[in-house]
Amino acid sequence: MWRYTAKRLIQGVITVWFIATATFAAMHMVPGDPLASEKAVSAEIRANLEAKYGLDKPVFQQYLIYLGNLARGDFGISFTQKNREVNDIIREHFPVSATLGLLAVTFAGLGGVLWGALTALYRNRLPDIIIMFLVILGISVPSFVVAAISQLGLVNLNNLLGFNVLPVGGWGTVSHMIVPALVLGLSTMAYLTRLMRSSMLEIINSDFVRTAKAKGLPPTRIFTKHQLRNAVLPVITVLGPAIAAITTGGFVVELVFAIPGLGRYFVEAVQQLDYTVIMGTTVFYGAFLVFMVIAVDVVYGLIDPRVRLD
Amino acid sequence: MSSDKLLSVENLAVEFDTYGGTVQAVRDVSFAVDAGETLAVVGESGCGKSVTVQSVMGLIPMPPGRITSGTAKLRGRNILGNPIVGGEDIRGAEIGMIFQDPMTSLNPTMNIGDQIAETLEVHRGFTAKQAFNRAVELLEMVRIPEAAKRAKQYPFEFSGGMLQRAMIATAIACEPAVLIADEPTTALDVTIQAQILDLMNDLKRDTNMAIILITHDLGVVARMADEVAVMYAGQIVEKGAVDDVFYRSAHPYTLGLRAAMPVNDREAEHRLTPIDGSPPDLFHPPKGCGYCARCPAAMKVCNDVVPPEFAMSDTTDHFSRCFLQHPESSAVRLDGLYRKEVSA
Repeated sequence: MWRYTAKRLIQGVITVWFIATATFAAMHMVPGDPLASEKAVSAEIRANLEAKYGLDKPVFQQYLIYLGNLARGDFGISFTQKNREVNDIIREHFPVSATLGLLAVTFAGLGGVLWGALTALYRNRLPDIIIMFLVILGISVPSFVVAAISQLGLVNLNNLLGFNVLPVGGWGTVSHMIVPALVLGLSTMAYLTRLMRSSMLEIINSDFVRTAKAKGLPPTRIFTKHQLRNAVLPVITVLGPAIAAITTGGFVVELVFAIPGLGRYFVEAVQQLDYTVIMGTTVFYGAFLVFMVIAVDVVYGLIDPRVRLD
Repeated sequence: MSSDKLLSVENLAVEFDTYGGTVQAVRDVSFAVDAGETLAVVGESGCGKSVTVQSVMGLIPMPPGRITSGTAKLRGRNILGNPIVGGEDIRGAEIGMIFQDPMTSLNPTMNIGDQIAETLEVHRGFTAKQAFNRAVELLEMVRIPEAAKRAKQYPFEFSGGMLQRAMIATAIACEPAVLIADEPTTALDVTIQAQILDLMNDLKRDTNMAIILITHDLGVVARMADEVAVMYAGQIVEKGAVDDVFYRSAHPYTLGLRAAMPVNDREAEHRLTPIDGSPPDLFHPPKGCGYCARCPAAMKVCNDVVPPEFAMSDTTDHFSRCFLQHPESSAVRLDGLYRKEVSA
């Protein structure tokens, strides 16, 4: 298993290098100049930056300098924000996005497995029909609509009760996190519910569940040890990409709920052609997601003995 | 008639609701087995063999299944139609069951030892460690080499024959009075099949359990069974001791099955003769005998009236559900059909 993990990590590093190279190439193909944007920088900063990044040098040399800086973990200094290192931006704002994202993934994963199993057990009966209707809503309604509606609902609820049950926006305490995380995880939860339902339906009718019944095991034991564990495998497979979708898709939710996450800086940097911030956050996000996918694969190997990790 | 036997099933009838209508899968089936006996249930696909034993085990999903009549008594106590929860002291404890395809009948994410140990924890109150140690002993009993190492492995690391041994070990873990084997060797190749059958015979001898063996392989029947029940279209059409049914076949369907079986004899001029036609539509079971449409000697009465059980002997349980056994039809000829000798 350690050999497998090491192999996957090396592959991950190569993937990140590809991401970095592609981002670099894309940045140099985009017309425009970060130093010539409306927030014009002083001549002093421009000279310093050109000296540090060699913007007047050949592209290949710039690429090597960029890779060298990356390897040292130095993402550089923002072109447009004075005295802001990209590392600082990431250090300050990534934990917020990551907390929100992981909480949302947890909600989505637990909710998806729970609702999926429930709908399968109550197949074609009332709980199944109600939940599957909500699932269709969850998949098709975009997150900014859900975010706005949930805020409206929270405001009304707080007014009705006369005190703040949960804050409507902002960041800081656990109570700030709950609603945004639910909103952010909703569509993934809906998708996982569908996946879990079909996987569970297959397992319920499988031969080995019939064997478990023939062994006279109590229904709770059949559910936990024989049905759930096998039905959850396909859900775990898609959890890696789901983490990617959630953590990168958090921008809208962060904006609506006024959460100081990394997504806002990422989007602003793209608008302002802030080379270093774009490349830094892209590579960082890329590395994070590659790592999460590897982690999911390793966990999969722990749960399914048929996946040999070597 | 046989309620003093270990397990006796009487007048069992099972229906299934489907989109096409109601299927009468089992119609008035009765049989019994005693300790140390093997009853073979034979018949072609869809004749109700599996449904019969699965309803005894309470494994029929209800709905869509429905047991419309009958009793199944284990040592005189009715076990049929118990709600799923109530069946747990019977299933796995008093009656063990093994299935056709060992490759899919074991949980792929649980190691073999734990799957055997589970039943002991649930039915015998063993601790996890006791149960696992016993599981290793059981694996040795079903002749799996290096049992201690094998118990920690997963189903995908076993071959088909070994998986079926592991299934047997699971089924006999709680020393059940009855072992139900639903086509246990159909998915295995012939040499492995012989080993599994020998193993079952040895276990029967050692533990004196009763075996109900479902199969469509008459060779397996000859090797294993004391008694044979031939099923057709949801009914037992002939039943009796294995020699009676094989050598004094008293039902045209049994004759048809025998004619369709290859013989291991170069000298014999033996053509395999398939039974023409297909089994009746169980959505609308025929009014009379289910085999009527395919029977070479069908009479007018066969179409309209379900034949009763005609006793073939005064001393044994051999019977046939065929009007050719009626005294008034003795003029109708059918080659090979055994008929009760009319005593003066």
